[in-house]
Amino acid sequence: MTIQLDIDCQTFDEVAPAYGLGAAEGREIDAIEQHLDFCTEPHDEARELIAAASLIPATLEPAVPSAALRGRLMATIAETPQEHRSTAVSPGRRTAVIEPMTTPRRPWWQFGAMPSAVAAVGLAAAVGLGAWGITLNGQLSDRDAALRAVASADAAYVAEGDAGRGWVIQNGNEALFLADGLAELAAGQLYELWLMDAAGNPVAVGTLDNTDGVAVVTLEQDLDDAATFAVTVETERVDRPTSDPVMVAALGA
Amino acid sequence: MNDDRRADAQLADRIRIGDTEALGELYDRYAGTATATALRVVGSREEAEDVVHDAFVAVWRKIDRFDAERGALRAWLMTVVRNRAIDRVRARRVSIDVDDADERSLLRTGPNPTMEDALSRASAADLRAAMASLPDDQRRALELAYFEGYTYREVADLTGVPAGTANGRLRLALGKLREALTGTTAAPLHFVDASLRKDLSR
Repeated sequence: MTIQLDIDCQTFDEVAPAYGLGAAEGREIDAIEQHLDFCTEPHDEARELIAAASLIPATLEPAVPSAALRGRLMATIAETPQEHRSTAVSPGRRTAVIEPMTTPRRPWWQFGAMPSAVAAVGLAAAVGLGAWGITLNGQLSDRDAALRAVASADAAYVAEGDAGRGWVIQNGNEALFLADGLAELAAGQLYELWLMDAAGNPVAVGTLDNTDGVAVVTLEQDLDDAATFAVTVETERVDRPTSDPVMVAALGA
Repeated sequence: MNDDRRADAQLADRIRIGDTEALGELYDRYAGTATATALRVVGSREEAEDVVHDAFVAVWRKIDRFDAERGALRAWLMTVVRNRAIDRVRARRVSIDVDDADERSLLRTGPNPTMEDALSRASAADLRAAMASLPDDQRRALELAYFEGYTYREVADLTGVPAGTANGRLRLALGKLREALTGTTAAPLHFVDASLRKDLSR
């Protein structure tokens, strides 16, 4: 498909520096951004000039803000939801609900695609590639430490669903599930963690029954060959899920 | 990706998963430059700190829209600071939609590895010297545009020159900043007002 560009390449090159400085005008801005997105010419010089505008703040002598500003900022963000997370986990605790499978329909883990209710949140969101910064066992008791672990893992996948939000992380041969503020369980229930291969074969890899604070579970196998991670609510550890998943993450396999 | 940008990308990953400490580290890294930028625009320390506060909150809220492969976190942050500061001074003229401006800044601020690498090698003194070396008319045009929020046509009116001349000064000024960092000389200017108007009116 060929996109009809609103301005030609010469005009783009001429106005791009003003755009970089925030000094272009309405229709010009739209036209320049369309050109940036769709023109097949590299426009290396124009792109460098646009980027050069970002050097201007560095030409100023830094000004030290008041000591109070940092504290004020941190207090604000502690109360400010992030756009992409604002609907994921509410501050209040929820209660997980078991929805027993009705036979004879196929079990959810054997579907080629995720059930629609969880597919939307099951897309892999791999974050943080880098050195493993902390020793995991026994050191993830607070939320910030857990978040640092997620950020510095070899790979991390967001798991979301009715029970809340967590992460499946892998570093080397070790895989963990971390969650903060999981929905409370009714008496006699536990969360059971599952890995499934591409064919949908579930393998139980751990259980969790304490939902206070940050939950950390070392999975009983690594993520190799696993396509999906899921959490169900069970009344005891079982070999096959007996309820629909309350959290799901699509993994890299 | 250079070391600074990689470190920023890791901070962005941590902020994205709700790590408030990472936002604090970003603040520690860039608050001085952000405050200087805001102060240069709004002229009041109290207002400048409000701008910096609001800009970091915006980065916290919108971090999921940032893609490290497409731009530099530092550049985006500084543009968000500048947008908010300009919005304050423009309240006397015409307000801009800062949320929309944040979105557009993601495109405007990246990616450009050449400039990011050059910036990581340059000292603050190099950059200040490059700015100081600009001819007065170019530096004035650049300051009116970047720090006072005027469009190049408004710069033209304010300085009593044709729009093409004002735009040319901005282009030359940016070219010299780039040249100071990379040793690259900007190509000759071809700007023609009439052709621009014709193209944009199609």
